[in-house]
Amino acid sequence: MTRQPTSILLPRDLDLVQVSGLHKTYPGGQEVLKGVDLSFRPGEFVAILGLSGAGKSTFLRCLNRLVEPTSGRILVPGMVVDRPDDAVVDIVRVKGQELQRWRRRVGMVFQQFNLAKRLSVLDNVLSGSLGYAHPTMSSFRLFSEQERARALRNLDRVGLLPLAYQRADAISGGQQQRVAIARALMQCPAMILGDEPVASLDPKLSLSILELMRNICREDGITVLVCLHVLDLAKRYADRVIGFAGGQVVFDGPPDKLDDISIRRIYQARTEELKGFSA
Amino acid sequence: MSGATDQYLDLPRPPRAMGKRLAVGIAVLAVLSWAFLGTQFNPAELIAGLPKMADMAKQSWPPDWGRLFDPADYHLPEELTWQQTLLPSPLTEEQQEIREAWWANTWPQTILGGTIQTIQMAIAGTALAALFSFPLGFLAARNTSPHPSVYYSVKVVVNVLRSIPDFAVGLVLISAIGLGPFTGVSALAFATTTVLVKLFSEAIENIDQGVVEAIQATGANRFQVYSFAVVPQVMADFISFVIYRFEANIRAATVLGLIGAGGIGLLMNADFRTFQYQQAAVSVLVLIVLVLIVDFASARLRRMVQ
Repeated sequence: MTRQPTSILLPRDLDLVQVSGLHKTYPGGQEVLKGVDLSFRPGEFVAILGLSGAGKSTFLRCLNRLVEPTSGRILVPGMVVDRPDDAVVDIVRVKGQELQRWRRRVGMVFQQFNLAKRLSVLDNVLSGSLGYAHPTMSSFRLFSEQERARALRNLDRVGLLPLAYQRADAISGGQQQRVAIARALMQCPAMILGDEPVASLDPKLSLSILELMRNICREDGITVLVCLHVLDLAKRYADRVIGFAGGQVVFDGPPDKLDDISIRRIYQARTEELKGFSA
Repeated sequence: MSGATDQYLDLPRPPRAMGKRLAVGIAVLAVLSWAFLGTQFNPAELIAGLPKMADMAKQSWPPDWGRLFDPADYHLPEELTWQQTLLPSPLTEEQQEIREAWWANTWPQTILGGTIQTIQMAIAGTALAALFSFPLGFLAARNTSPHPSVYYSVKVVVNVLRSIPDFAVGLVLISAIGLGPFTGVSALAFATTTVLVKLFSEAIENIDQGVVEAIQATGANRFQVYSFAVVPQVMADFISFVIYRFEANIRAATVLGLIGAGGIGLLMNADFRTFQYQQAAVSVLVLIVLVLIVDFASARLRRMVQ
């Protein structure tokens, strides 16, 4: 019998993640992260800005180890990975089951939504609970009634309950991203990573998806990190903006501190050239 | 206006590789004549053989339809009624034995029995191959194999085994386990597994890795990732490969029959060797109809799963 996952509430003044000296060099010799030091509080909504190739996406993927960091530390409180002794854990060094226990606390949404297209919407949402589910039963796509109920509740929360039994490729892009968010919610996450989550959506849908993510952040106290390339969206939704350029952090502060000089540093360009970014 | 046109025509062009074309042309001609000479190509012989072929066609006409439709040609046991033989019915122990002997020995020697046995061989061989190739396909795909050494060894072994033609496997198995349909099934299962592993592992290598990333990111283990990210993307292809191989195996099972591994091929071979062309013609016609039906059904089924 597997227990129902519950969300983790950390005190607001404690860091959820402390990243220090994070480097990533890809096998081809391309150095994408050149020593990143950042920490994130519970319940923060953070927008990460930067040009393509600045290292935003690699940084997010290092946090849940979809990409292996070359060196550096990612420290999290032990309770997040359900350690009984609550000692601080370095995510760069964990492997096997402990890595899976960290990943199940970190939801992720993608630019291309990455749903299993031939499965139902409900099965896609249920896949978010794989880290907690019975390993054998869930491999045959069998879940307990409680898990199904939880999946339907999360689907209702993103407003798609009527589509539960549709195939995932039969619904629109904006709806697919909502399903991906419901999948992330199934993880009872401490943090949600968004890798350009609105880059494939039209402006109106972009606003509604970011609004949904911000509500989840506020209501559940989940830390949200999203890569964006539209400056205005970052200013509008984020509590904190981080600018990446050439694999380093070149700005870190509240959106109202984003002046022309820092924008220029992030986009490595003159301000006149940036009109298009903030449309 | 014409000036502008000229200007474009004057742009430098890539040189035409006339020398290269000539060389390729000569090489192709050389290979073709080498092949025809080596095989003693002789249309005159073919033409001279035409009357013999016509004669053979005449001898096999009309086909001996009695073999297919005449109950006498099914040699039903005299001790039992036909209902007792063909339908499940209460029998004494002695009757039971007679009935079983007929099903095992006489029935496969009839046209209908042989045809059905060929179909059974193709189904059983393909099903076994599907069973084996499903897990092997995961091991032989770069992105799902647990370790590069597993990936390379499975791939190399399967590639080597696939180079053995199925009737050669059949000949080896006949000397090992003897004549009969089980030998045919084993040969088909073996040969089909090697083909399905190749097709299936390539399909797995072509999936959208984004879904794999997304499922990994939920904290799923290896098998959960297979089940949610890989299987849904490749299942339709897998079913379609299996159906296609079943279609090919109907023909392969017939060829295996010619070398003694049961089914309608065995009957056809026996009839040709004893110059009973009118009987052989029935087997050939039945086979043509069978292959046409299976081709049609297979195409329909494969369209349905896609």
